[in-house]
Amino acid sequence: MEEKILTKDFGLKNLFKIKVYLQQGGYKAVKKALEQMRPAEILDEVKKANLRGRGGAGFPAGVKWGFVPQKTDKPKYLCVNADEGEPGTFKDRYIMSHNPHLLLEGVIIASFAVGIHSAFIYIRGEYEAVADRLEEAIAEAKADGFLGKNILEIGFDLEVVVHRGAGAYICGEETALLESLEGKSGHPRLKPPFPASIGLFQCPTVINNVETLANVPAIILNGADWFVKKGLPKDGGTRIFGVSGMVKNPGIYELPIGTNLRKIIFEAAGGMKDGKTLKAVIPGGMSAPILKADEIDLAMDFDSLVEAGSMLGSAAVIVIDQETPILEVLKAVSKFYSHESCGQCTPCRIGISWINKIVRRIASGQGEKDDVDAIICLAENIKGKTLCPLGDAAALPILSICRKFRQELEGQLSR
Amino acid sequence: MRITINGRQLDVSGKKTILEVARANGIFIPSLCDHSALVPFGGCRLCLVEIKGRKGYPPACSTYAEDGLDVTTESPALQAIRRQVLELILSEHPHACLICAEKKNCDEYKSTIRKVGEVTGCVLCPNNGRCELQDVVEALKIDRVNFPAAYRNFDVRRDDPFFDRNYNLCILCGRCVRICHEVRGVSAISFVFRGSQAVVGTVFGRPLLESGCQFCGACVDVCPTGALTERASRGEALPDEEDETICPLCSIGCGLKASLRGGRIVSFAPTNAEAVNRGQACVKGRFILRDVVYSPKRILKPLVRQNGELHEASWDEALDFVATKLKGYVGKNLGFISSTQVSLEDMHVFDRFTREVLRTDQIISFRNHSPLASFWKELRMNGQPAELNFELDSISTAKVIVLSGADIVVSHPIIWVEVFRAIKNGAKLVVINGKDSSLERHASFHLRVQAGREFSLFNHLTLKLLENNPENPYSRVNGYETWRESLLNEKKAAFARADINEAEVDLAARLLAEGQPTVFLMGPSVVNSAAASANIRALWNLAQVCGGRLIPLAGENNERGAFEIFSRSSDRVLSVEEALFKISRGEYKSLYLAGPLPVPPDAAVEFLVIQDCFMNENVQRADAVLPAATFAECGGTFVNVEGRIRKFKNIIEPLGEARPDWWIICRMAEKMGAAEFGFENAAEILSDLGRTRPFFEPACHRHQGKGKAVFILDEKKGSGQFPSGESPELAPQRAAIHSSPAASARALDYYRSLNLVEESKGLRKLRGLREK
Repeated sequence: MEEKILTKDFGLKNLFKIKVYLQQGGYKAVKKALEQMRPAEILDEVKKANLRGRGGAGFPAGVKWGFVPQKTDKPKYLCVNADEGEPGTFKDRYIMSHNPHLLLEGVIIASFAVGIHSAFIYIRGEYEAVADRLEEAIAEAKADGFLGKNILEIGFDLEVVVHRGAGAYICGEETALLESLEGKSGHPRLKPPFPASIGLFQCPTVINNVETLANVPAIILNGADWFVKKGLPKDGGTRIFGVSGMVKNPGIYELPIGTNLRKIIFEAAGGMKDGKTLKAVIPGGMSAPILKADEIDLAMDFDSLVEAGSMLGSAAVIVIDQETPILEVLKAVSKFYSHESCGQCTPCRIGISWINKIVRRIASGQGEKDDVDAIICLAENIKGKTLCPLGDAAALPILSICRKFRQELEGQLSR
Repeated sequence: MRITINGRQLDVSGKKTILEVARANGIFIPSLCDHSALVPFGGCRLCLVEIKGRKGYPPACSTYAEDGLDVTTESPALQAIRRQVLELILSEHPHACLICAEKKNCDEYKSTIRKVGEVTGCVLCPNNGRCELQDVVEALKIDRVNFPAAYRNFDVRRDDPFFDRNYNLCILCGRCVRICHEVRGVSAISFVFRGSQAVVGTVFGRPLLESGCQFCGACVDVCPTGALTERASRGEALPDEEDETICPLCSIGCGLKASLRGGRIVSFAPTNAEAVNRGQACVKGRFILRDVVYSPKRILKPLVRQNGELHEASWDEALDFVATKLKGYVGKNLGFISSTQVSLEDMHVFDRFTREVLRTDQIISFRNHSPLASFWKELRMNGQPAELNFELDSISTAKVIVLSGADIVVSHPIIWVEVFRAIKNGAKLVVINGKDSSLERHASFHLRVQAGREFSLFNHLTLKLLENNPENPYSRVNGYETWRESLLNEKKAAFARADINEAEVDLAARLLAEGQPTVFLMGPSVVNSAAASANIRALWNLAQVCGGRLIPLAGENNERGAFEIFSRSSDRVLSVEEALFKISRGEYKSLYLAGPLPVPPDAAVEFLVIQDCFMNENVQRADAVLPAATFAECGGTFVNVEGRIRKFKNIIEPLGEARPDWWIICRMAEKMGAAEFGFENAAEILSDLGRTRPFFEPACHRHQGKGKAVFILDEKKGSGQFPSGESPELAPQRAAIHSSPAASARALDYYRSLNLVEESKGLRKLRGLREK
């Protein structure tokens, strides 16, 4: 069932060393792209491949690159979003620690296609060892002439810098990431203007997720048609599903986009642990609305999940069993977002904090009759009304939990 | 372009947000974080609106008007959103009074007032009645908050001068943080922590004094709640009257709004009336000026010395006494000193009185040597086309700004605001200073040079620019080669003497060659050194070669007016330092002090008259003391550093028996038998001035100031010659007269003879001076 593009060589010892990587045909894509293709051709190929962003929003990468103005007197930047902060998500960490050169290949090709000479990898501070490994990989690539000045002697320059975050979830939001990278506190910016026109240091900027860029070499080597066939017509390639929770074999599974969620849990991940029964699934990281056990017969692609009232997000599948009280899930969600709100806009700052307080009150046995409605009312007023998507990320799962498990929650209210 | 708001078709020109368009057309959209001086923030989420064809609820404050937009600002859905947002804000803000059933009674009869240490409701809040949050609650008709109050229990920060910070009342609109960062370029405060813990604070929670704060008060002025409140006006009731005036302290002359209660000034705050300070002020104008007017040091009655002691006297007695005595010194051994912080009218009367009645050739003015006068003497008198008039806008639109000889963040805060505006628009700042200042972090280049040796740096920059230019227009000018040779010959020695880093000079020269337009700001320390003449000439050459504008920064308000009246046509000014030199040689038998002059204790002066607003160290040996009125008590005209002529009116009646300076001098002149001093008001004097001095003619039109800025007439004359900056030979006695740099830094903080640093404990702390 598994369809491996990104993870195919993960089993190899020392794959993160450039020597091993080159033996597996590494940097062939870079050679092909830089020596045989023009930037416009690369852009077309990625557009045709329908490579959608793997970070959460699912915006087509080729289109994003196309937004960057070609003629500008400002420098252009690439920012790799490696601030993998979404609870339940750990796919980028595997890519970067097992196969950092794959990411670097994607970075080089994307930079070449857009005309970028400086790229930043914004990695969450907790990934300390991973960041070290990335830096080693960059040094190796530089020594072998894949980075630095005059790459492959075609006159293209590219420097890659690893920047460690300081532990704020909000810095995974692209504009907050830019602020943080500029040395300011991580507060999201108002959009428009979008980063493609005014981004890092007020210059045109491309921001892509790690997994998104890691897909680019395969597209260059095998062509857009091949890539689309691996997935769905509007949604090419594979996804790395990070399965966690009460399953027999939690971990990452690279599967074609559109794989059935039930299959992922019960076949790929080996089914429920210790004969437990399935209660609910969060299909795309903590910010995705929850699915009940009877809703999991669906294809895991962006559009099908939106249709089902949830989202694919970062494709982190969190499996919850019957023995876990749903209140515990709600507590975890509200505590996390209340802690991670940046504090810039009112509904998110105070609203989520009140939801968290009410949830804690219910958990302490002091819940009042209207508490579930109060949470729903607060969350509805956060949804779509905040400055950045963090408000939605909090409101949507909270709303879905309250609505789908209302009875269970109300059972916990004492008064 | 045309947009529709609530069915009304509105024409819009330029880039405007929906909120701005709505406000301009009288459509109310609630908002708490937006401010006209600031970039849109989108934080409070009260201004959400509906736009046809767009999903969700975009905020009006950060959505720009586009042709054909159809906006709805009122709907049940919007009402519900705004109410909940406001309830959320109120859940963290002490709101007992806002939703209290006794609210109406309490406003009128104070029926429920209680004494508590903390602000638990509006009646205990110093901002009650001028709170934007109260206004929005009123507009949205909130009478109930569905959340229990969550008091954040922060300690009220009272450890800094001038204002208190009570973050229990803060609604995190971020205006204070943004104005400090976006407009003042100081960034002393910031958001700290995140989520529900978010709060405004300083680095490591240190006091503002230790965080680079200049106490300009901009944050206090933009705070919509009572979180930031001026301490001096805390206990005061709401003002019943407001009046506009001009700050008399520094050469900018900020437009200020005075709040009055029962005929007494409660506080001053900056206004936006003319394109001078644009709603900004500084610590002195914002927080100290009120205490200046009501200083306990004010002289309120005429005093005359009889039998060795000062006794109160009537105006008639005092004037008679002084007039009789003065007659004995007419035409000989008499020094008259004029403050530069008095109005044009006062100066004109001083000018005529000294020439026509006292018959003295000289008048003492300018605390240090005025940059304006030196600029004029060195350049214009030598046939250079140097002009004095400029507009502050020419600074904010410059691409390169070269600043030398001043820490303008402290000395000229409003000029700094303009410089910072330029930097934000992409301009590069080059700082040429001997010592460190707070400007370096904003500067592209900080060229260090030993004080008094600036000319070396200017000259070498000029040379570098010319040599880099293949079409050097001066290469064939007479004298160029000699100038070049002498510079190159002495280069090594000169650089070593002046501590100049040559690599930096090369880089700065490259920047100057690119940037247009360029502005050179010349501060007092360039002019107040022994090498003043060489410095000014060398800087002028540099400005000429870059095609830039050289602006001398006057120090005190109306210094430009003093220059125009006392020195422009014929220089009759002696600087204070020069006068002290003369006093030490016993050249004055009598002194008339209508301005500040620290008379040395051993000075051999027979007759001393003080005409001032404040008691000072000279009073104990004065023979007569005449109480003058402050700017707030008499109307008049000021000319600021730009050459802008502005009238101000009196906002309060004179305290005690104080009288305007012109009134005192006119009555004195009459007593001394002079004719044509029968002026009864400032307007009469101004028209007399306009008759005798043609460049003041614009000031005399009756409708001056209505809509159009009025400037002193100042035509560019002469033609540039090069080189005008010869190697300096210092005149030794001149060098001796010039004051030490420390004294010139202090001279900033005066109003007439009142030393603001001594007067205000807060300013003393801010200036880093030790407690007395």
